[in-house]
Amino acid sequence: MASAPTSKYNSHSLENESIKRGTFFILIDKEVIYICPFNGPIKGRVYITNYRLYLRSLETDSALILDVPLGVISRIEKMGGATSRGENSYGLDITCKDMRNLRFALKQEGHSRRDMFEILTRYAFPLAHSLPIFAFLNEEKFNVDGWTVYNPVEEYRRQGLPNHHWRITFINKCYELCDTYPALLVVPYRASDDDLRRVATFRSRNRIPVLSWIHPENKTVIVRCSQPLVGMSGKRNKDDEKYLDVIRETNRQISKLTIYDARPNVNAVANKATGGGYESDDAYHNAELFFLDIHNIHVMRESLKKVKDIVYPNVEESHWLSSLESTHWLEHIKLVLTGAIQVADRVSSGKSSVLVHCSDGWDRTAQLTSLAMLMLDSFYRSIEGFEILVQKEWISFGHKFASRIGHGDKNHADADRSPIFLQFIDCVWQMSKQFPTAFEFNERFLITILDHLYSCRFGTFLYNCESAREKQKVTERTVSLWSLINSNKDKFKNPFYTKEINRVLYPVASMRHLELWVNYYIRWNPRIKQQQPNPVEQRYVELLALRDEYIQRLEELQLASSAKLPDPSTSPAGPSQMMPHVRTHF
Amino acid sequence: MTPIITVPWDEEHKLPGLQSQAIKRCFPVDREIVVNEVSFVRKCIATDTSQYDLWGKLICSNFKISFITDDPMPLQRFHYRNLLLGEHDVPLTCIEQIVTVNDHKRKQKVLGPNQKLKFNPTELIIYCKDFRIVRFRFDESGPESAKKVCLAIAHYSQPTDLQLLFAFEYVGKKYHNSGGSGAVGGSNQKTPFFETYSDWDREIKRTGASGWRVCSINEGYMISTCLPEYFVVPSSLADQDLKIFSHSFVGRRMPLWCWSHSNGSALVRMALIKDVLQQRKIDQRICNAITKSHPQRSDVYKSDLDKTLPNIQEIQAAFVKLKQLCVNEPFEETEEKWLSSLENTRWLEYVRAFLKHSAELVYILESRHLSVVLQEEEGRDLSCIVASLVQVMLDPHFRTITGFQSLIQKEWVMAGYQFLDRCNHLKRSEKESPLFLLFLDATWQLLEQYPAAFEFSETYLAVLYDSTRISLFGTFLFNSPHQRVKQSTEFAISKNIQLGDEKGLKFPSVWDWSLQFTAKDRTLFHNPLYIGKSTPCIQNGSVKSFKRTKKSYSSTLRGMPGSLRNGIISDPDLVPRRNSLILKAKPDPPPPPTSQDHGAEQYFREWFSKPADLHGVILPHVSGTHVKLWKLCYFRWVPEAQIHLGGFITAFHKLSLLADEVDALSRTLRQHRAGSLDAGHAGPDESRMYFRVSAHATPGTPDFLSSAFPFSPVGNLCRRSISGTPLSKFLSGAKIWLSTETLANED
Repeated sequence: MASAPTSKYNSHSLENESIKRGTFFILIDKEVIYICPFNGPIKGRVYITNYRLYLRSLETDSALILDVPLGVISRIEKMGGATSRGENSYGLDITCKDMRNLRFALKQEGHSRRDMFEILTRYAFPLAHSLPIFAFLNEEKFNVDGWTVYNPVEEYRRQGLPNHHWRITFINKCYELCDTYPALLVVPYRASDDDLRRVATFRSRNRIPVLSWIHPENKTVIVRCSQPLVGMSGKRNKDDEKYLDVIRETNRQISKLTIYDARPNVNAVANKATGGGYESDDAYHNAELFFLDIHNIHVMRESLKKVKDIVYPNVEESHWLSSLESTHWLEHIKLVLTGAIQVADRVSSGKSSVLVHCSDGWDRTAQLTSLAMLMLDSFYRSIEGFEILVQKEWISFGHKFASRIGHGDKNHADADRSPIFLQFIDCVWQMSKQFPTAFEFNERFLITILDHLYSCRFGTFLYNCESAREKQKVTERTVSLWSLINSNKDKFKNPFYTKEINRVLYPVASMRHLELWVNYYIRWNPRIKQQQPNPVEQRYVELLALRDEYIQRLEELQLASSAKLPDPSTSPAGPSQMMPHVRTHF
Repeated sequence: MTPIITVPWDEEHKLPGLQSQAIKRCFPVDREIVVNEVSFVRKCIATDTSQYDLWGKLICSNFKISFITDDPMPLQRFHYRNLLLGEHDVPLTCIEQIVTVNDHKRKQKVLGPNQKLKFNPTELIIYCKDFRIVRFRFDESGPESAKKVCLAIAHYSQPTDLQLLFAFEYVGKKYHNSGGSGAVGGSNQKTPFFETYSDWDREIKRTGASGWRVCSINEGYMISTCLPEYFVVPSSLADQDLKIFSHSFVGRRMPLWCWSHSNGSALVRMALIKDVLQQRKIDQRICNAITKSHPQRSDVYKSDLDKTLPNIQEIQAAFVKLKQLCVNEPFEETEEKWLSSLENTRWLEYVRAFLKHSAELVYILESRHLSVVLQEEEGRDLSCIVASLVQVMLDPHFRTITGFQSLIQKEWVMAGYQFLDRCNHLKRSEKESPLFLLFLDATWQLLEQYPAAFEFSETYLAVLYDSTRISLFGTFLFNSPHQRVKQSTEFAISKNIQLGDEKGLKFPSVWDWSLQFTAKDRTLFHNPLYIGKSTPCIQNGSVKSFKRTKKSYSSTLRGMPGSLRNGIISDPDLVPRRNSLILKAKPDPPPPPTSQDHGAEQYFREWFSKPADLHGVILPHVSGTHVKLWKLCYFRWVPEAQIHLGGFITAFHKLSLLADEVDALSRTLRQHRAGSLDAGHAGPDESRMYFRVSAHATPGTPDFLSSAFPFSPVGNLCRRSISGTPLSKFLSGAKIWLSTETLANED
């Protein structure tokens, strides 16, 4: 069977790529047994480079190819010992970040797995060995530069900023106000830089409320920040209170500012013990606070773990739906989407400006603001718009990609790791399922983003914040994922895309519509894999080709018939009349 | 028995003439009689507010209940209308339960037939079989009239006799008017009914079956009243033998041929042999005969459906739970446990079981080249589903609209599926079971998995399901063809209708879709993804026409001697499988094992490893992740579940526009080739698409589209919340009366 766990979207042969990129060097080249969880043991030849593990089946009846970027590996364990009994009991067990495990068996004699183990450990976890992450070695060239996709000034200008109420400030140019925020921030016109500094003292990690998005018509805004440092004693800060009031007043019609605290109420209360908390009614008269009940990174990590348990290697068949329910994954997706819908609805209906925060404002907050913006602003539903959205709300605002993913880090059990960004992409996928014509990109685009979230081939998702990226000169020394995507956009386009301006997209955040993203979470299982490419999309593309073919042939026929007729103007159906007629159809 | 419609209501009105124009518009059906009516009725639209409620007149006729209003439907911006029904109407046969309520006295009562009602109802709630729930309030209407209408609805929706169903009245009148046959609307000539010898004969020839013949021993239903007059049997069994054997079968339902594979394997269905002494002998004779009819004399594979599949009671119980979950229970409260609740209904599990079992039989027929005999107690319930699914998977002809309809005629209507009892048209609930829906649901799963393999759309399947509950048509009204003949003959005699040579009255057929929908609305039945055989397609960049392969079944093969093709084992690997249209370079599959014993598992694995040939066999994925809930069918009346401007229909819309464009171009090209210079004047009526390219239309998604399209949940229970997020408060008001189980049956 040809369909084994091969990386679908990365299937160039190893050789081609090594020629393309001068930085490849093969470190291991040996025969192993790949213990395929679906088809049993397969003898293959494994090549390990500083970027990937590549295995080709040596068996005639199997066309299996494994192609795994080392960045995907979260854990490498030795399986069995030199004296273990049983067939294929000695080897390596590899846990991956992308919902699969790999198991290789080797010959028991002569420490045959030692070099493989050492090389893999070295290059999968370069940080522990003082080695650079592969992205810094990657010399791929693309004809577009993905680093130019996001320019904050341009993006704010697109939003109509600055305006009478909002200004762009460079107070954080050297990351002195807040080291996890971007250099460029949009703040109320009436708040001075000194005000901002004072507010920063009252917000966790100095992440002050700043503008994410402004409604082009009613001028309500989405503002993001971290929790206020209320603490057990219920501290207040006049500057913070005043600042929120200034934000509220940027939109004159409204009497209250809506605050969405992404956390469950109890968590927000519990955060007081560590100095955090939430905006109380007493202190913030002109604000209404709602909790959105979204759980923290640890709950999400455990939930995804349970998803893996029921889909890999075997899909829990006898009680699929209740097993799925017990992972709570879709329930979390539902809560995130519901929260984003509420944010979007507030803003879109012009009811009030919205302030969103969780604890530090870099996980749940990023999910909520970016999803709400995706619902409100059709620009973000285009390929480049989405790249800008990710670049802005996630990368520049300090979602801790390095900690959440653990790039090049061997500490697989790090409590900081969590699939928050994956969850966001899942939410986007759910929306694209409900609105098949609303997004310029297809499922493959989303899967490619996730693949390179882990792969370390691009610099896009490296490091925790902009200041760290700047220090490492990431944009100069690495390639952007958007270079890969934008240089071959057609592959990532949704043929059904219908560009619609100003349409707010409200998905139905109901369990009746949310689905497990089978093509991502269960993609390694050849028995579950759904048809690729999507037959509906494929048919559409075929029809497009057919249309072009027909038009061409029609033109040829018309040319031919016009050649026969010496004077086309005398003929009622001469090409001069017919051509425009046919064309008006399209 | 006196099969005469009695109209015991003083206020009887006859149409036409006396009624207003508005009412006439709503009663297009000939012979429809208004039984009772009440004015100043409020139809509830939302549960939390009365601002959207509509005022009008509630009418009970002998066919349906109607609500006639001059108020426009709020939030409704498209028109997809059943010609027989107004947008607020419910056919009487679609009514499941009638609940009357008096707020002031805090009394509620479920109304059965011929029951008394001791209070004047302030509210009437109709629970429909199609998952709708409609609610009327009588605050401003005359209390006595309201009560009478409620009682009339209860009476007419729960008739005591088959001949009281509207179809009889309707068809009787037609005969009276025209004085004979042919009066009833032009039935769709393309769909064979399998009522005649020739239909069966053509089917034998179409499939290339040799060794099978049409048998007419049941002419006049002399042998069995639950078999069709003509059916197909092994050629080696003589009529005389069959007559003798028939006594041993339950219901005298001897083996019936369903279909033959091009490799000669046949699909056969039969009842159990009840005669224990004769069992072995007869079984042996039958099997030998089937073996003889096989060109390779292959063995017979028997599948005992009663032992392997859920029974009709279990299926009914699953359906009741599914319905309860989908519509009766408050939306928000079922959210948290939705997945496990859905699992607990077992509906999807049963759909999977039928798909899986049918796929296994496909393996037996196609790969092991064995004939398959479906065995079931009476052979007229589970067999209908399995026989149909096997044929849908194996034969692309049954994936066309005409083919699918002929399949339903062949394996359901003529095979004696007890529509009357299973649909429970007479409300004797103990025999009810939604096997036909389960078949449509399983077909939908295949359509969902192979969206380009079917000529029809999911709208077609949903509309077909709805048509089982419109008692105008004869198609889904009877337990057997014989019952139609017997009952309608009795009826004809009692009404002095001259039948002449005809066997019973000819009822309108569901397949005559023009009775229900305009030509434009019928185009929604067409799947824009479907690639018809004659349609040119792209192959490796160039346009080619499909070539028929030996393995394809088509009506044009009719008339060719069966023996020419039969028995030829076509090597499956000689026929490249097509993934839709584009041939993909795939590594060579492992050579097929020469032994016939390789398991079903391996067969499936190999099949799934190749791209599917949409004009060949299609097999379902049956894992829990693949078998899904048919949302259009079950959620279309649930406002909170609608995705406004979303759902698959939005992609369908885009596809239709493109397919329409391609069709138009293709017509122009054809005209060019035909030498006509008058090109490009193909009228819009020629289009097979509902959504068409037009100069003035904006390219975006039309704003009336929602995931429920073409159905509209407006007017059913409640409206969606403004933000798009379903909020429980919209249902809190409804909870009080939503659960019928809490209703006390007071008198």
